[in-house]
Amino acid sequence: MTSPQASPLTAETIDLDDDPEALYALSLEQGWGDGVPILPPTDARIEALLAATPHPPDHIVGVLPPRNGVATVELAATNAAMAGVEPAAFPLVLAALEAISTPEFNAFALTTTTSSVFPMLIVNGPSRDALGINYRAGCLGGAAGRGSMTIGRAVSLCLRNVGGQKAGETSRTVFGQPARFGLCFGEWEERSPWPSLAVRRGFAATQDVVTVHGAKGTFPLADVNNDSAEDLAYTIAKSIAFPMNNWYLEPTGGSGQLVLCVNPIWAARFGEAFPKIESFQEYLFENAWQPIELWRPANAKILRDKGRVDAQGRVMLVERPEQLVPVVCGGLGSLHAVALTSFCESEMQSVAGLGK
Amino acid sequence: MTASARRLRIRVPTARPPSDSGAPTFLLNRPIAGLKVGLRHEGSWRSWILIVEEWQGFLRRDGATPVVVKTGERTAAEGERTRALVAEWAQSVDCGISGLGTCGSCTSWSVHDAVSLEKQKRPAIVAVTEEFAQHAHNMANHLGHKDLKVLVLPYPLEARPEEELRKIAFEYYPQFLELLGATAAQGAKK
Repeated sequence: MTSPQASPLTAETIDLDDDPEALYALSLEQGWGDGVPILPPTDARIEALLAATPHPPDHIVGVLPPRNGVATVELAATNAAMAGVEPAAFPLVLAALEAISTPEFNAFALTTTTSSVFPMLIVNGPSRDALGINYRAGCLGGAAGRGSMTIGRAVSLCLRNVGGQKAGETSRTVFGQPARFGLCFGEWEERSPWPSLAVRRGFAATQDVVTVHGAKGTFPLADVNNDSAEDLAYTIAKSIAFPMNNWYLEPTGGSGQLVLCVNPIWAARFGEAFPKIESFQEYLFENAWQPIELWRPANAKILRDKGRVDAQGRVMLVERPEQLVPVVCGGLGSLHAVALTSFCESEMQSVAGLGK
Repeated sequence: MTASARRLRIRVPTARPPSDSGAPTFLLNRPIAGLKVGLRHEGSWRSWILIVEEWQGFLRRDGATPVVVKTGERTAAEGERTRALVAEWAQSVDCGISGLGTCGSCTSWSVHDAVSLEKQKRPAIVAVTEEFAQHAHNMANHLGHKDLKVLVLPYPLEARPEEELRKIAFEYYPQFLELLGATAAQGAKK
């Protein structure tokens, strides 16, 4: 390793054979990689990314647990270069890292827990198509948009290389989940009957915004039996209130959010029945509960002791309608929704990308 | 075909390792009698709640005053309440133990709250199960308190019969006092 004098970059350098196999082997040997080949983080690639942000290389984006590594713009760019992020997408990587570093996101717990949870990224804004953010068919896996696949992976590599999160080492995750490779998708804003997620969270529709959500996984829902939008929403509400949901482990139902990915066909049906998204969320909230009799006596006692059982014998999933967050995305084949289930002790965060 | 002689220069993508220096730790160097002893649990692990209940009795028998704090969630409105509660607890006791670390995030937060106590210059211990001991040491190191004292309990602790848990509480009480630096032989008696 050497420390060069002429570059604005400060990280140590390594010289190796200009051979993809050599780089791949080195990334595995050094523990930088996620098991998939990387692109070489050369000065040219890193500097091209740095040129896309107004921040200097030593600007601190955030501190990433569990190792409390300082995420500078340069380190973020180095990892983004490895993931293949194009310069125009780099501000969204920085926005995601800033969001993850927010204390209320609770990355301290997310990065060390036995849970499978990982930050999932939801993109809104005008650059969605140009950057290759997946929001149509296969948006949660299978679509091949460069933006989605590289932004998500870059953030994951930063958590690994800057934050030090490694399964079986600093992270005690028992199973992990496929999204730990990086999961980034967009909202199909044009097919949503409601304002976009970012607009609902106070941003302008002209801004590119990343929202990070601490999600335990992608929980699939399907239906062909309900013609009424209300009946369909009712069945979704009952399905997301499954008895081993994290919310039934927590002291209260008051923290965190669940993202409900709604396909555009169902979204249109829901939009007719619930013209305002708040009324849809209220309806989901009112029906997202289970009767206490569902649990065996010892488990029921714990829920009662926590004050989770109301006078009607209902165990509500959450405390407020806004904790259930619909996002319109996915293909036009209808029939399906996906719940991005909550870690609970993590509050969704949104940050706008700041490009040049 | 000849092998390429071209070389490539790349940047290292990892953050620099944290400083090796650790914050100071503290010992009582006196008997436990007359002191306020903090016992922290988060209401999740019934095994630890039972041990805490047992130790309250042992501490009272030994002339100390147990001060139990039950923490809650760490985010949103409940998170604010928890932060205030831990801060108040850390200032109100002479020493204490924070547990239980027997999952990833609960170990992290148990260490975090023990560190809150150590920052008040009080003897502090984090209680973890064996499976999570290394994780507790790692987290303490990351928080700059690499020498934080760790009481390691058997794993798994959950789902053991109550009688067995009471026996564990009895067996580990002397070690708890020893880690605090209590000087007199204050072992629990049946």
